[in-house]
Amino acid sequence: MSNFEIGLISIPILMALIFMRMPIGLAMFVVGIAGTAIISGNTIAVMARLKTETYSTFSSYSLSIVPLFLLMGQFATLGGMSKSLFKAAESFLGHRKGGVGMAAIGACAGFGSICGSSLATAATMGQVALPELKRYGYPGGFATATLAAGGTLGILIPPSVVLVIYAILTEQNIAKLFMAAFIPGILAAIGYMITISIYVRLYPGSSGVRERVPYSERFKAILEVWPVLTVFTLVVGGIYLGWFTPTEAAAIGAAGTGIIAWANGGMTKKSLTESMLITGSSSAMIFMIVLGAGFFNAFLALTQVPQELSSLIVSQGYSPWLVLTIILCLYLIFGCIMDSLSMILLTIPIFFPIISGLDFGLTPEETAIWFGILVLIVVEVGLITPPVGMNLFIINSMDPETRIVDTYKAVLPFVASDIIRTIILVMFPGITLYLMRVFY
Amino acid sequence: MVRGDAGVIWRKDMMNKFMTTIAKWMALLGGAVLVLLIVITCLSVIGRSLNTIGHYDYLEDNVAFIAHFFQYFKPISGDFEIVEAGIAFAILSFFPWCSLNRGHATVDIFTSGLSDSKNRFLAFFWEVIFFAIITLITWRMFVGMSDKMRYGETTLLLQTPVWWGFAVCAFASSVATMVAGYSAYCRFQELRRGFDLTHASGSAGH
Repeated sequence: MSNFEIGLISIPILMALIFMRMPIGLAMFVVGIAGTAIISGNTIAVMARLKTETYSTFSSYSLSIVPLFLLMGQFATLGGMSKSLFKAAESFLGHRKGGVGMAAIGACAGFGSICGSSLATAATMGQVALPELKRYGYPGGFATATLAAGGTLGILIPPSVVLVIYAILTEQNIAKLFMAAFIPGILAAIGYMITISIYVRLYPGSSGVRERVPYSERFKAILEVWPVLTVFTLVVGGIYLGWFTPTEAAAIGAAGTGIIAWANGGMTKKSLTESMLITGSSSAMIFMIVLGAGFFNAFLALTQVPQELSSLIVSQGYSPWLVLTIILCLYLIFGCIMDSLSMILLTIPIFFPIISGLDFGLTPEETAIWFGILVLIVVEVGLITPPVGMNLFIINSMDPETRIVDTYKAVLPFVASDIIRTIILVMFPGITLYLMRVFY
Repeated sequence: MVRGDAGVIWRKDMMNKFMTTIAKWMALLGGAVLVLLIVITCLSVIGRSLNTIGHYDYLEDNVAFIAHFFQYFKPISGDFEIVEAGIAFAILSFFPWCSLNRGHATVDIFTSGLSDSKNRFLAFFWEVIFFAIITLITWRMFVGMSDKMRYGETTLLLQTPVWWGFAVCAFASSVATMVAGYSAYCRFQELRRGFDLTHASGSAGH
């Protein structure tokens, strides 16, 4: 068997192991070292690599952003900022039809700007907004679906842990990726708000409306969220302007949200312990996958599978747009069963060379960044697609009265809005790349 | 996940208490290191910013004493080397807690139709493989450490021996190995007894 064939066979084997509930990072690790050993005919190279690989992966300066952003997100949940964000959004939107739901989306977007994780955003905003939505008579499933969808803004709007991993895998500039994610993130929030507004018009009586708030009070509410604005400006602005490295920005962000949490009295011994343990658990999970992916991808590179596949597809002369559409659809399907980080670490080494070899009329860097944002969006859709949408589970578990089936049904319009947005962004790469082109 | 009197049996178990406590304290130690790295990085950034301000021509030309005051601040030299070693240690310290709480990402949808006992067997089997792999990782890390020791390799700026970083990581990795072995034992007990066990201190919300 040639190396190429071994490489090709390894992919279905890996998928089979993962589907048999083998931890994803572990599966990639085992297939990676076994494959390398088979190709080289002995274990010498693998054993030599194992001596330093774990340490060098875990001590990577750019990867150190991940636990820092996770901790930042955890501290953000302690700071009580979710409440003031929701109040501010509500004072502007609450008097419209479906306004309270829109306010929840707006507050999620605001929270997403200091939190790089979707689950944390969904969970934190859920605690604040879910009771409010129910108070204004939103049906249970619609309220939970709104928050689950809003939660995806946590990762879409920078900072974003998934984008950091994508940047490292494809050797792209994190600052540019964060910048490119900005407009699609805002579009996502607007799309969700439009979805809500259509929904409440189709089902009249499904939501109550608040009385209008005078402008003086609206601005007072806006002033309340200044800590969020400060941290966001410092972290994301600092990265954009090159004041500090993304790792430094993440450290500053964690310190900032930590101080906010402490100042608001959210930092107790118990909550601090809890946020450390959650950060730790997620970090260990992510780094296990990163470590396994390192071995698996090194093995794949040895077999030449990514390069051969890429040149095969490019030489066939398929339309680039067709290939892109197929890849994005694959992500949508996989997103229904797998978490976003695993999916990206598993697939980008194979798909990225293919996309890089195709001509979309963009520079190679623009293609890489545009593709990164598209992938980010479609894997995030996976968080709200039944049956394994993590956001749906998290929000649904907070509301014992609502059946998960109701949430499944109500989330479909939001998924539709995601798909429409993806189509628009695929058709017009300029939307995603606009800010980057202006600033660089 | 709790069934029958599992929780009661578990809480009486000294070994469980020991492992849970160790895993928790390792994770908190990792968290403390993370906070320390945040402080170091922030101080370094502040030092660098003040130093940059001190070197503005306008300040140097007009109010030299203020400029000199700012120039007194400096970034922490080699801060990123501390961050690198510290993060590696923190991550490995998080491993015991993660594996004790079944925190590693899996795809459950295709096995959810299987019977409970088959699922327990899978959980046990993969935990044994995980234990084997993390043993391998720890062993190779110790070998890597002794290599670095022998060659006397040092970091670029701080000139500290590289094996120090390996040593703390190998320690954390050893704890992770021990806890992984214990987790495999737990899965075996669950398979044998036919119900899932809960841990004394509960699990991290995941």
